[in-house]
Amino acid sequence: MNSLERILAAVSGDDTDYQPFTLLLSLYGASLIKSDTTAHYRDAALWYKGQRAVIDTFDPDIVITPFSFPIEAEAFGSELVFLDHYGPNVKKPIITELSQIDQLTVPDLELSPSIQFFLKCTNFLSDDFRGNKAIASPIHSPADIPALLMGIEMWIDTLLFHPKEVEKIMEKTVEHFVQFGNELIESGATFLVVPVNFTTPMIITEKIFNHLLPYLANAFRQIKGPIVIHNGGSKLMPFIHYFAKLPNVIAFVLEPTESFDEARQIIGDQVVLMGNIDGPGLLNYTKEKAQEITLKILNNRKADKHFIFATSNADIPYDTPIETIQTVVDTIRNFNKY
Amino acid sequence: MIAHLINEGEKDSAVQLLLEWSTETSFKEVIFNVLEPVLTELGQLWMRGKISLAHGYISGKVAEEFYLMAARDQEFNLSRNQHQGTVVLGNIEDDFHPLGRRLVNIYARSAGWKIIDLGTDIPAEHFIEKAIENKADIIAVSAMMFTTAKNIIKVRQELDKNSLSGKVMLAVGGAVFKLRPELVTEIGGDGTADTAIGASDLFETLLKQKMSDF
Repeated sequence: MNSLERILAAVSGDDTDYQPFTLLLSLYGASLIKSDTTAHYRDAALWYKGQRAVIDTFDPDIVITPFSFPIEAEAFGSELVFLDHYGPNVKKPIITELSQIDQLTVPDLELSPSIQFFLKCTNFLSDDFRGNKAIASPIHSPADIPALLMGIEMWIDTLLFHPKEVEKIMEKTVEHFVQFGNELIESGATFLVVPVNFTTPMIITEKIFNHLLPYLANAFRQIKGPIVIHNGGSKLMPFIHYFAKLPNVIAFVLEPTESFDEARQIIGDQVVLMGNIDGPGLLNYTKEKAQEITLKILNNRKADKHFIFATSNADIPYDTPIETIQTVVDTIRNFNKY
Repeated sequence: MIAHLINEGEKDSAVQLLLEWSTETSFKEVIFNVLEPVLTELGQLWMRGKISLAHGYISGKVAEEFYLMAARDQEFNLSRNQHQGTVVLGNIEDDFHPLGRRLVNIYARSAGWKIIDLGTDIPAEHFIEKAIENKADIIAVSAMMFTTAKNIIKVRQELDKNSLSGKVMLAVGGAVFKLRPELVTEIGGDGTADTAIGASDLFETLLKQKMSDF
């Protein structure tokens, strides 16, 4: 059974030879090959070299294309700031007045270097691993990108008090999501991973969420592949039942404090659940702590055939000891699920 | 009723209702007996993850608008004698994430602090200048990301340069300090609060610390 077969078995609820897993190690590739982090997020060949090191070292069942939403925001015109050992951040929002939404243009997939970086990395992974491993491509939710483009306060204000501007910007972000998402799938992604940091009960009200839901449904419906909803560092419950009804959604990555049992009660037994060890938290865990948390999760999901072990939240930090990550992997591989 | 309107996102109706009550009683009565208890309750619910950031934002907007109306009322201004201290508040240079700062402004002001809000993207020198001008007890600096939090070091350097360290306390806050608490001392902060509603308690602690040092 290869990695892709293992993941597909989890999707269909069939037995697997061992517990399938993935770890968010997009940044960690740079750590393994000791490359400069700015170059890591600019040079697709270098990024891929790092991912090869990740795969050679940890051999996850799902490999993940670059996880960097600021670079996606850069495609819309945002300016980035790069830091040693960290992923890039958006320096300042490009929209500071609502009237600027009219001038916002949807990135050209062929001409945008930022978008091309994602697509080339996906191509590299696909060339070597298509048919062998599942390839996951993170892409920002169309309802979340505005928060990066104008800042969270202005986005909340717009959602609350300026419905016409919401419509204008959502039209553009939905168009981008559909174009870019389908191009990622065309380039070799098995499925899209859509973090929803700013579309959760921690950030917006249920009334706002329901206003955004038709846009999400319209966007997801046009994607020519499966979609995994990722917590993005925020809690999915109690909105998870809304997401579960969206087109093409097949799985959820829960936040570390969320309960798989509670999620199952809400969305049933057939959807894949993933998670939920804290990826950024691995930096400070001892090997014993990492093993304890991993085992707790594995035991909790022992009877769950629709389960894929995964790190939750953001990237595993650059400075995380390799032994800590290896302990998580060894614990999964040695776990007797059946 | 006010909490319900805020929950529903009905900002204008909430402000209107407060205004009607203040006509029947007074701004002071409504602020102390209605608005501030509601803000405290919502703040606590937010801290426990029971309501969203958007709820916090709406309550902040309601309070902001009503405080502005009250500020124009002479009777209210004469009656408001509670004064804890003066705080110069702002987002550090290159930081454009004002929500947390605005909420600190609302909650701390309602707790009796005089707040000089400088806005976003404020250079270290400007914090010091305004602190001296207003005889501030505390400079409170907000930063959301690691990249911008590092700029707060310049505020500490400026405080040292002007022999103000220990006389003007440096409070820091923002998402990055929750994720990396060790940053507070690394960038020269005297203390932090996990949430906007906790800022007033932090200011009290820092004020006591300042007084005990002199």
